[in-house]
Amino acid sequence: MKSRTIHLLGLAVVTAMVVAACDIDAGDSTPSTGAAADTTEAAPDTTEPMEEPTTSAGGGEGGDLSGNIVVSGSSTVEPITARVGEAFDGANPGVATSVEGPGTGDGFARFCAGETDISDASRPISEEEIATCEGAGVEYVELHIATDGLTVMTNPANEAVTCLAYSDLYALLGPESEGFASWSDANELAGELGAPNAPYPEEPLVITAPGEESGTYDSFVELVIADISEERLGEDNDFTRADYNASANDNVIVQGITENPTSLGWVGFAFFEENQAALKAIEVDSGDSGCVAPTTESIASFEYPLSRPLFIYVKTNDVASRPDLTAFVDFYLSDDGLAFVSEAGYVQIPGEDIEATRAAWEDAKG
Amino acid sequence: MTTGTAAITTTELVRRSIEGRRFSPVNALIAFTLLFTLLSSVVILVTLLVDTIAAALPVFATRGFSFITSSLSPRAEAAGIWQGIMGSLALTGFVIAVAFPLGVAAAVYLEEYAPDNRLTRFLNANIRNLAGVPSIVYGILGLFLFVEVFMRGMLGASEGIAGRNVVAGGLTLAVLVLPIMIITTSEALRAVPSGLREASLAVGATRWETIRHHVLPVAVPAILTGSVLTIARAFGESAPLLLAGAQLSLFFTVASDSSFYDLMLTQPYTALPIIVFNFARQPQAEFVALTAASIVVLLVMLLSVNAAAVLARDRYERRYR
Repeated sequence: MKSRTIHLLGLAVVTAMVVAACDIDAGDSTPSTGAAADTTEAAPDTTEPMEEPTTSAGGGEGGDLSGNIVVSGSSTVEPITARVGEAFDGANPGVATSVEGPGTGDGFARFCAGETDISDASRPISEEEIATCEGAGVEYVELHIATDGLTVMTNPANEAVTCLAYSDLYALLGPESEGFASWSDANELAGELGAPNAPYPEEPLVITAPGEESGTYDSFVELVIADISEERLGEDNDFTRADYNASANDNVIVQGITENPTSLGWVGFAFFEENQAALKAIEVDSGDSGCVAPTTESIASFEYPLSRPLFIYVKTNDVASRPDLTAFVDFYLSDDGLAFVSEAGYVQIPGEDIEATRAAWEDAKG
Repeated sequence: MTTGTAAITTTELVRRSIEGRRFSPVNALIAFTLLFTLLSSVVILVTLLVDTIAAALPVFATRGFSFITSSLSPRAEAAGIWQGIMGSLALTGFVIAVAFPLGVAAAVYLEEYAPDNRLTRFLNANIRNLAGVPSIVYGILGLFLFVEVFMRGMLGASEGIAGRNVVAGGLTLAVLVLPIMIITTSEALRAVPSGLREASLAVGATRWETIRHHVLPVAVPAILTGSVLTIARAFGESAPLLLAGAQLSLFFTVASDSSFYDLMLTQPYTALPIIVFNFARQPQAEFVALTAASIVVLLVMLLSVNAAAVLARDRYERRYR
């Protein structure tokens, strides 16, 4: 009967599909095509071969290094580390590098579980995270690699607002301003705080800003909100109002600001710089130096009050036996490596800070 | 008199409704509404496509195929999606290798062997429920079962990417589409006329002979169509992979001396939908265009898979007749 041939054909197609799939997998493999026949790698313990770097090339770019460098952490720092990684990979094709940016907090969670070698961070490691790392026996060194300015911004059409002090920002964004739908709703609270730029216009207040998983959120709370909230509400009230459009996607934040003429929000300086035409940065007044606008210069000199350092945290447990990791960080801290800071839209740290960072690294690497 | 008129009118009405074109406002309204809904969904789809393709064109015009064959890069002008294409194909390979045989076998059991009792009904209801579970939930399952328990716990992969490998991702997607695979195959088997089975059994064939020689050959076109569409769904999934460990990354490499075994187990991977998501959140305007271009590539690949499904079905249907 016909059914037999049909059955055979069906089987052939299924087999072809599976074989094709395997072929495709094999195509993924760079060096070998008949990869399944590689018997040397067939031992069940998969991770060991990666751990033993074959050559040690001191601190330089050996070119014949091998290893597996895993970086995770802040999405703010990710563009810098990704560029460094790309340049490093060009000289060291034997090293597998992966750079992710789920957020500073998520990054430290993986770092302190020992899963990653380097954690990008847009804020210093917190007390709890230090405890977690200690508990897991993860040792590390903190390296300051760049500076960012949290940019408070609004729509260019919003001419009524040009400068805000910390107290203004607290009145508009702090934990006590939950429910304020219009800028002017904050007038009373601003009066209590003695905020210099009140009263505010009677316009809708639409806030788009980073969510709590973000280091950019943490930095904002720490720099702007925490001191005032502690004074007024006591400890453990260091958070912003919860009723705003939170997004981990900085483009969504930028979009939220441009779509509404009386919007308010904050992002890292790189995102503001990329979208300058559609945004208006609000000058920030820390109380002692007057209104300062975020510029490369004012951020580098920390004159801009919302300047914040960006870090990488490097795991030092097995740094002596990891020439790949050492070479990567050496390259990161070289002039060539740090040049990627400005390419990614951030602000280079001054010479003496670079020296301090390099000294800290030399010390850690022993 | 009145009855006479009524009788004529009724006859006339029946005659007209059979042959004539009677204008019914309700009918016209419903037809119009249905046409409108159809048109609006088509318009939305076309707008989306035109918008995406328009945004993607400059990328293909300036970069050409190098956009497809380059690796990821934080620099928009150099970034490409090759790693995502390869990763997605590898994941699809796992889905085919795992979900297809399991799904077909499970469906054959449920339709041809399982007695119609409480347990079978319970299983059937659960498979249907599982098919409706949001994909992100499968991501959590994949993270726990395949990454934590299987890769880290049983294989001891704690270094490097720590078990977030393409095998774990592929298994997660396979489990995700397994219920759908079972359901579509079940439907295909159910559509086979029972006379065929009875005739085969009546001449003394065993149950397995009946299935092998008579039921499956008839059902193959429908099974293939359903499976390929299901696999296409796995190809476009991103949420579960985010949890199960695909790299949400602008830059990663695999070691140049990686064997096939390394690529499957110890090296990072990503998938095309993940790249779309990641490109979309970058600050530079150039990445917006790259996002559109990646979407176009994803669509083209999905459409070719679907076209292959249609072709395979037509071929088989012809052969059977």
